[in-house]
Amino acid sequence: MFELDDETLQMYIEESLDHLGDIESDLLTIEEAGENIDLDLVNNVFRAAHSVKGGAGFMGLTTIKDLAHHLENVLGLIRNRELIPDSERISVLLKGFDQLENLLKNIETSNDVDVSHHISALESITKATVPEERKEMISKIVDIVLSDGRIFPQVSLFEIEQYKSEGKNLFLVEYDLINDIQRKEKNPIEVLNSLQKTGTIIDSRIDFDSVGTLTENDVPSRIPFQVLFASIIEYDMTETLFDIKKQYIHAISDNMIVPTSVKNPAEEPSIMKPLKKQPAAQVMVETQKPIKTASIEKQKPKQVATPAVKEVKKIEENEEDNLSTAEKDATVNAKMQSSLRVNVGLLDTLMNLAGELVLSRNQLLQGINSSNQKATELSSQRIDMITSELQEAIMRTRMQPIANILNKFTRIVRDLSHQLGKTIDLIIEGKDVELDKTILESINDPLTHLIRNSIDHGIETPMEREQMGKHPTGKIILKAFHDAGQVNLVISDDGKGLNPAKIANAAVEKNLISEQQLTEMSDKQKMELIFLPGFSTAEAVTDVSGRGVGMDVVVTNISNLGGIIELDSVTGAGTTIQIKLPLTLAIIPSQITSVGNERYAVPQVNLNELLRIPAAQVKEKIEKVGDAAVVRLRGELLPLLNLADMLGIKKTYSDPVITEDLPERRQNIADRRSKHHILSEDGIIMDSSDNEAEFPQRGQEDRRYHASSAINIAVVSAGAFKYGLVVDKLHDSEEIVVKPVGRHLKKCTAYAGATIMGDGKVALILDISNLAQMAELSAVSEASQMVREAEAAAEAAKDKAALLTFKNSESEYFAAPLNIVERIERIESSTIEQIGNNRVVQYRGGSLPLYELSQVAEFKPLAPKDQHEVIVFKIKDRELGLLVTTPIDALEVTLDIDESTLKQPAISGSMIINKHTTLLVDIFEMVKILNPGWFKEEAKVAAEMAESGEKIILFAEDSAFFRNQVKTFMEDDGFKVIEAEDGLIAWELLKERVDEIDIVITDLEMPNMDGFELTKRIKSDPKYSHLTVIALTSLASEAHIEKGRKVGIDEYEIKLDREKLMKVIRQKLNLST
Amino acid sequence: MAKQNIDAFSEDLEFSTFYVGGALCGINILNIQEINKHFEITKVPQASEYIEGILNLRGRIVTIIDLGKKLGLAPVTKNKDNRNIIVNSEDEHIGLLIDSISDVVSAKKDSIESSPSNIGGAKGKYFKGVLKTEKHLIGILDIDEVLKE
Repeated sequence: MFELDDETLQMYIEESLDHLGDIESDLLTIEEAGENIDLDLVNNVFRAAHSVKGGAGFMGLTTIKDLAHHLENVLGLIRNRELIPDSERISVLLKGFDQLENLLKNIETSNDVDVSHHISALESITKATVPEERKEMISKIVDIVLSDGRIFPQVSLFEIEQYKSEGKNLFLVEYDLINDIQRKEKNPIEVLNSLQKTGTIIDSRIDFDSVGTLTENDVPSRIPFQVLFASIIEYDMTETLFDIKKQYIHAISDNMIVPTSVKNPAEEPSIMKPLKKQPAAQVMVETQKPIKTASIEKQKPKQVATPAVKEVKKIEENEEDNLSTAEKDATVNAKMQSSLRVNVGLLDTLMNLAGELVLSRNQLLQGINSSNQKATELSSQRIDMITSELQEAIMRTRMQPIANILNKFTRIVRDLSHQLGKTIDLIIEGKDVELDKTILESINDPLTHLIRNSIDHGIETPMEREQMGKHPTGKIILKAFHDAGQVNLVISDDGKGLNPAKIANAAVEKNLISEQQLTEMSDKQKMELIFLPGFSTAEAVTDVSGRGVGMDVVVTNISNLGGIIELDSVTGAGTTIQIKLPLTLAIIPSQITSVGNERYAVPQVNLNELLRIPAAQVKEKIEKVGDAAVVRLRGELLPLLNLADMLGIKKTYSDPVITEDLPERRQNIADRRSKHHILSEDGIIMDSSDNEAEFPQRGQEDRRYHASSAINIAVVSAGAFKYGLVVDKLHDSEEIVVKPVGRHLKKCTAYAGATIMGDGKVALILDISNLAQMAELSAVSEASQMVREAEAAAEAAKDKAALLTFKNSESEYFAAPLNIVERIERIESSTIEQIGNNRVVQYRGGSLPLYELSQVAEFKPLAPKDQHEVIVFKIKDRELGLLVTTPIDALEVTLDIDESTLKQPAISGSMIINKHTTLLVDIFEMVKILNPGWFKEEAKVAAEMAESGEKIILFAEDSAFFRNQVKTFMEDDGFKVIEAEDGLIAWELLKERVDEIDIVITDLEMPNMDGFELTKRIKSDPKYSHLTVIALTSLASEAHIEKGRKVGIDEYEIKLDREKLMKVIRQKLNLST
Repeated sequence: MAKQNIDAFSEDLEFSTFYVGGALCGINILNIQEINKHFEITKVPQASEYIEGILNLRGRIVTIIDLGKKLGLAPVTKNKDNRNIIVNSEDEHIGLLIDSISDVVSAKKDSIESSPSNIGGAKGKYFKGVLKTEKHLIGILDIDEVLKE
């Protein structure tokens, strides 16, 4: 007895969905290619539509068959290059395939779904393309009448003609479901598939008309399974090919094709529809019905149906989006329980492992029974190993490539960008990354949301983009990759980014944060406000440049999966969102820590590193900022949270004497641990007579001498927060199984769940991001940021300079200011030319004069070598080279210069750099000595100045070294200099002698009154505001320059750049150079 | 739900009785999953004060409630007579920590009297009624009310 069971249907659905799987991207590629049709791709899509159709006919899935058929028609035209796939047509095709997929997923109701608007859209494409004379064929349906009078109804004439025009022969092959298929242990789908290899299946059906009913015959002799088949194979060959008797293969000639009276195939009742749910016995009864209905409906002319369909179409197009999402949701839910394809190899592995597990269990039992400890140990080790492997293998069965969900974003981007009039390229990377099935399904929605946001709010319109100087085509990059046992998903766009100020204002308006909080927030924190629940409701968000529609939902979804989300955006340049997900949900690797007697698990996802601060270093490493403790980690300040304080647990320490954990007495972590501290703390302890009685041995054997008094920190991060979690002990990293906690504990947000440890006790799993929120960590991180700024300012206050260090002879160390160095070159000794007393080398088309330090002062001459290093300086627009010995190094140092001890010509002073006494070379002086001609002009100006009355400079500088240096070269150039040791003195001098002073030059960082304050006073007093103020600084940062501009500083100059400074002074005083 | 059915259909009810905070209380025996003496309890900082902690009961995480504290009586004093009464409520196992277990008492349904507003210092709302035996007065606990968060 034939039965068209669930299995066959299931197989058909799975295969069809498989076929449809890649269609979307194929179609999009076809669209992109436009006129340059890639036949392979089109064929691919064509075949997919075709196979779906082929099976559908035989399954009685008329709606699917019909839709697939019309899709196929359009694709056929594209394949024959009769139709150019423009985006409108592709849209119709895409929608058609979407519908097809939906029908397949809801197969039971598929025949009741109205697909007429898809079909008419497809038909109108076909009709518009084909020539007049063929037009009527498109919707024309014919029957094929066999010689014995039986008919194969409802075949599209257009299709038949198409195949004929391709020179194919048409056959009607009649398999017998009982003898040819069932008895040969085949499956109808398999038969169809094998036929596909040699030709094309136009249609297939089961001919129930000729079966008869149960009442007539107990067992029908044959159930014909008819396949209408087009192939290039000749009739003679078919017998062997189809493996059935020739009498059941009918070659179809033109006279067998007769027009049908019923034109609309959708009206035809589904013969097989009830089959799926009905037991086989009922099928036979059921088969009578369709014939009756069919005959009734044959009277119904098609014209009645068509207009109605058209009206519906319009309405439905508007609703289509809503409809299809609703449908999709339904299918997603249904899919949750659906089957999963597992690699057979993997199944074999599982089987093997299961076998091994059984063997090991037997060994273990034997070992236990015979009390053989060694055997027991061995088998427990084996079981341990097998369990891990088994776990991994089972996990792998759940792993699915992320491509499954990423691929569909191409479509979303395409559709949405069309709709919004934007052009967007989507780049997908890392499609092979695999994720647990449940996670994969659950990130679909959040990802869709983020992508939609990027398209809608992120990327600008092409016009806006051009105005901003960007490429008109926006770019969205979707990237998946593995990192540290997690899956990372990055969605970045080059759109307009987020505007922190606007977001912050919106958040204040909605009362999500207070003005007060706002002032303490960094830009990044402001941007992250979009994650707040309640932020994203209003339409105003779109105006606010923002993303944010339902961002809180995205965050919730991601964190439900144990993932974290990070946001990074540069206003005007784009937004990047990074999602980190665990590979799987049920088992997570965690760091086990403990506080007091309890263990706590920190999920590895959140863990950055472990830090142990030895007792001896606690005092210097841990600082207090306001009330918060921070630790300095690689130059960054990391706020510390004490888990015990957070959870209100009494901290303990293990007492080395009584080996019991005792309550910690330390008040806060920063209170440690010089000897002085120990004594005073101990003093307090000793005061209590109870303690003395209890611990008589206490004294020198203090716990603080033990390693256990070090501080253990787990450095964790959650979103924007990164902090150190102070715990009592750090244990191993373990894989833990997450178990839910009871309802009474739901409101304890500090925990993400609980797990059972190896010893059977329960440990809580910490929720790192909630802990951060509980501690209001933003305040802490703000504080540490302030500290950082203060430090930066303190750094700047010192006179720092960038120096180039080098050697003359092996034991003589020198340095020169880096900013006057042009280049460092290596030259061959042989290329040095000696001309009189001067040495030159041909260099960049000119002669570079070479000097060495022994020419100006009492230093050793350089040893002769094959190659020499030359530092090229630029002075007065001329270059000169100084021959030196390696190593040459650039470094930034705090200047602390001794001007007297080693003073000599061309040396401005000495200081200690890297434990060597290093002499600072004054290149100007050196050039002046060696080549006085270069400075003729200055001498002239100086002379002129002296004639026309001296110009007077007020010069404020606290460092004596710089004061002397700068003063000297200003005086050399004919200026008179009034010195001041700080801003305040300068201010007093200025008040006294304002009429004489022409220009003010000031250092910025000075005691008593700094350069900023001095400038501010000068500029805000009309008596002095005419004066030009030039600031001298060692390192000018942007922030500094900005600050200086605000108070009115006219120019910034670098302290040791003599030439530039003098030039600017002359400019400001309108002196010729 | 099951419990209500039981109340309605059987005339004879059995109560497991126990002492908590000096008061003698009873729970319908059909509500009780098991009574054990596992005390490997993990404390849950920040949970409500009456939560004793959580326990691994054959792979399940079970919340243990100090019934004395919950009822507003004296907290359970730790000693070897302590027991956990594991009850099933809303598809979850929850443990009630009590001072010591006592007898199982049978009673006719109509012999349960409505509870006064206060039983030995505990709020009346936690009780379905009181059962008078020859020697004692037993407060019959309303488990749903007791286990409300």
